[in-house]
Amino acid sequence: MDVAAAPRPRTAKRWHPLVITISILRLGGIGINTRFWVSIGLLGAIVVFGLLGPTLLGKRDPLRIVGGLYDPPSSQVWLGTDNFGRDVFTQLMYGTRTSLTIGLIAGAVATLIGVAVGTLAGFRGGTIEEALMGITNVVITIPSIVILILLSIAIASRSIVVMGVIIGITSWPWTARAVRAQTASLRAREHLDLARLSGAGTVSLILVDIIPYMLSYIFMAFVLQFASGILQEAALSLLGLGPTNTISLGIMLHWSLLWEAVRTGAWWAFFPPTVFLTIIAFALLLLQSSLDELFNPRLRRK
Amino acid sequence: MQPLLNAQRICAAYRLENGDEVQAVDHVSLSVFPGEVLGVVGESGCGKSTLAAVLSLTARPPLMVKAGTLTLAGQQVTLAGKQPYPVTWRGRLVALLPQGAMNSLNPTLRVRDFAFDVLRAHDRQVDRRVALERARERLQQLSLPPRVLDAYPHQLSGGMKQRVVAVLSTLLNPRLLIADEPTSALDVSSQRALVNLLLELLEREIIASIIFISHDLPLLSNVADRIAVMYAGEIVELATTREIIRAPQHPYTRALLQATLVPERTIRGRRIEGIPGQPPDLRKRPPGCRFSPRCPHATDRCRRERPPLETIDGRAVACWWVFERERRVPSVEESVP
Amino acid sequence: MTPFQRYLVTKTAWYLLAFVLAVAANFYLPRLIPGNPVDALVARMAAGGGAEGEALRRIYQLYISEFGLDRPLWEQFLVYLGNLARGDLGTSFSVFPAKVSDLIWRALPWTIALQLPAILLGWLIGNALGALAAYRGGWFDRGAFVTSLFVSSIPYYCLAIMLLYGLAVALPLFPAGGGYSYGRLPTFTWSFVLDALRHYWLPFLSLVLIFIGGQAVGMRSMAIYELNADYVNYARGLGIPDRRIVTYIFRNAMLPQVTGLALSIGSLVGGALITEIVFGYPGIGTLLFSAIRQNDYPLIQGVTLLIVIGILLANYLVDIAYGFIDPRIRAVQAGER
Repeated sequence: MDVAAAPRPRTAKRWHPLVITISILRLGGIGINTRFWVSIGLLGAIVVFGLLGPTLLGKRDPLRIVGGLYDPPSSQVWLGTDNFGRDVFTQLMYGTRTSLTIGLIAGAVATLIGVAVGTLAGFRGGTIEEALMGITNVVITIPSIVILILLSIAIASRSIVVMGVIIGITSWPWTARAVRAQTASLRAREHLDLARLSGAGTVSLILVDIIPYMLSYIFMAFVLQFASGILQEAALSLLGLGPTNTISLGIMLHWSLLWEAVRTGAWWAFFPPTVFLTIIAFALLLLQSSLDELFNPRLRRK
Repeated sequence: MQPLLNAQRICAAYRLENGDEVQAVDHVSLSVFPGEVLGVVGESGCGKSTLAAVLSLTARPPLMVKAGTLTLAGQQVTLAGKQPYPVTWRGRLVALLPQGAMNSLNPTLRVRDFAFDVLRAHDRQVDRRVALERARERLQQLSLPPRVLDAYPHQLSGGMKQRVVAVLSTLLNPRLLIADEPTSALDVSSQRALVNLLLELLEREIIASIIFISHDLPLLSNVADRIAVMYAGEIVELATTREIIRAPQHPYTRALLQATLVPERTIRGRRIEGIPGQPPDLRKRPPGCRFSPRCPHATDRCRRERPPLETIDGRAVACWWVFERERRVPSVEESVP
Repeated sequence: MTPFQRYLVTKTAWYLLAFVLAVAANFYLPRLIPGNPVDALVARMAAGGGAEGEALRRIYQLYISEFGLDRPLWEQFLVYLGNLARGDLGTSFSVFPAKVSDLIWRALPWTIALQLPAILLGWLIGNALGALAAYRGGWFDRGAFVTSLFVSSIPYYCLAIMLLYGLAVALPLFPAGGGYSYGRLPTFTWSFVLDALRHYWLPFLSLVLIFIGGQAVGMRSMAIYELNADYVNYARGLGIPDRRIVTYIFRNAMLPQVTGLALSIGSLVGGALITEIVFGYPGIGTLLFSAIRQNDYPLIQGVTLLIVIGILLANYLVDIAYGFIDPRIRAVQAGER
């Protein structure tokens, strides 16, 4: 492979560092709500790009070979080509879509299991709570990346859905813990006593009298699981254990690392997915910190 | 006699996150004389603790002192503005005995280390051994076990912790001790022990005066020489304890007395009555007398004009109804020649 | 049984359970691969023309007996456990006939040398920065906080990629990867150590920046929480200087941070796998990467087991240490974190 022949970038558009610094500083001065909305805005923009991009720009096959090894950006291929000569911009759109889908499935699975375990433990208390939370704590201590690696090598052909599900079933314990705490504080409320007196069963009590009261909380937990699912997928794909026969942000990085895009200066191959993952992660942490302050006012500064 | 502390027209407000301000203490003036205990009583949310923070010089954002002057042991300062007094006034001239002493001590610091920090803050040269000896003597003098010095805060019981905090607050012999609800979290016997300790501090002239803030009028009547009654950020009546208990003037003071259980023969068997209505929301205060919406004697004037705090026969009260009854009406006609 | 002993026993039991589950997953999951992994391996070896006839049969027999593949699953598990107890992680598929444990021992020092200093330095600088930001407030806090938040939020491999491109390719200040120059052999000579150091800075920087950011964010919120505590206000009220109060806050905010340090050290092995892949650093991450590409199941299992042991051990030690420190602190930690 003649990697040295790959042209080096000369025309990259550079942001002045000062502009970036100032805009970041401005972010810090703004209140919870603005921080919250900025993070929602960033995530929203990425979602729109991944979902609407392929529809608006016409369907293309992200795995189709359109050029040579690391062709630089041009009017035909807006972000150049990758090591197989595939269009990076198309890959970015479809890769974003794949990553989002996996994040969505992982978030849904994790939230579903977490809410089920958390509400049951928090609502029933006693032995059931101890057993469920014991299991939760055991699962938390076993590092999820290990289970993910082992599961991924066990499943030879990994579809997008399978990836989402296995990420989801390794990340539910955090949601379960948070939901249990919320449920336990709801348990003492009067309306629950009334409902209990009327003879309602556990499941209907949880569905009717507990979950509606913490829907916003559950939604927040879901958003966090969604974003961290995307990052988990990226890490797995980077290790070479991503979904098969498709493209995702992590897989793009995996190939560009294997085919030395960084060292040969083919920035268009690795920079876009890196930036996308960074934005997703930053939005996640921004969201988390604004929610933290929302739920725990003592962390707030006057 | 020269007052030890004289506060004039103190105004303090909390700044909310949306930029609004809530006036918690509104033009409060009071004096404390050497050797006396001044009680301050009122419902929760009436501005007692805010007043304590201002007078003990510990107000900090979001609480802001908007106006007022303070004369403390002959030295006068204007309170509004940035750090108008030396930091060493705190602890030496005036000291705070805080509400809820449970969390007042640093959980990871032994009592003796904190005592040393307090002494060293005011005398950089002080030797550690000398400082600890002084703390030990003080504890013995007040019949508290000196071994508490070796304890971490969580190893002390609630009552003991509050007494230790009282000793630490007065370690530097401050002239004025401001006790902010010091007994509210304690059981009855610990309350009595703490009150006795405070009175002993006064008796031994370790401190000169106490401002004792409480919502518990029966307790105050046993401790205080004079009592100031606060309502919605203002003082509505200030008189000797005897006068407040025997002949309350302001309708709010009367209601407050009726709402508390005083174990005296004359009122035995009487029905305890609460005060109807709610204390006003400090963000939306009524234009006239602040108590008027809950007052049984309120007239149109009460709802329109705010009564000033007038001194009648040596006792101060702010109530149109009282003024009318005393036929000493400081009306508009009189003040205009 | 004292409460502490009970605490100890329950914790130990739960961690043992977690360990057994992790080992079981480690044993069982790779066996879900359709077909016999040894067949596939030997077929590939034969196709590659590396070994033939008698040699191939010997290799086949070695793997079959090592995995106990000719016996039922539960017996295989016991064989696996027995091997583990003797520290035998099996024979690598891809680097035949190297023992997995030897490969791991060769890679582990690189990973530790890269991560441990990064964790320690990042922890020190991050905590100092966070405490300072919380204390100073204003523009410093805003700048430090948002920068830290931003840096710590970047996935560590993304930062690694950007740094590698920025500082080794676009602006060639550092060598573009590897643990040492191509063609050298690891020896303990000055020239080799200097060469290794030159390759060290960039991956080190990519890790330390992330750690600083994460620690600063955590320390800042802990310190702000402590700043609002009652004991801070009380200490101020007694005139204790701010610089002394800062040490109180710092010490109290530190406790959870120490836990964090222990846990980071525990997750060191699996904490930055991709950094090593990005930089081609000869540690555990790169080992795992090549193992995955060549379906070297014994090697993958060895690495994942090492990751699990590190994390479980660190968590266990931290929990036990909390039990020792103080039952009250333990309760507080359990309730708040």
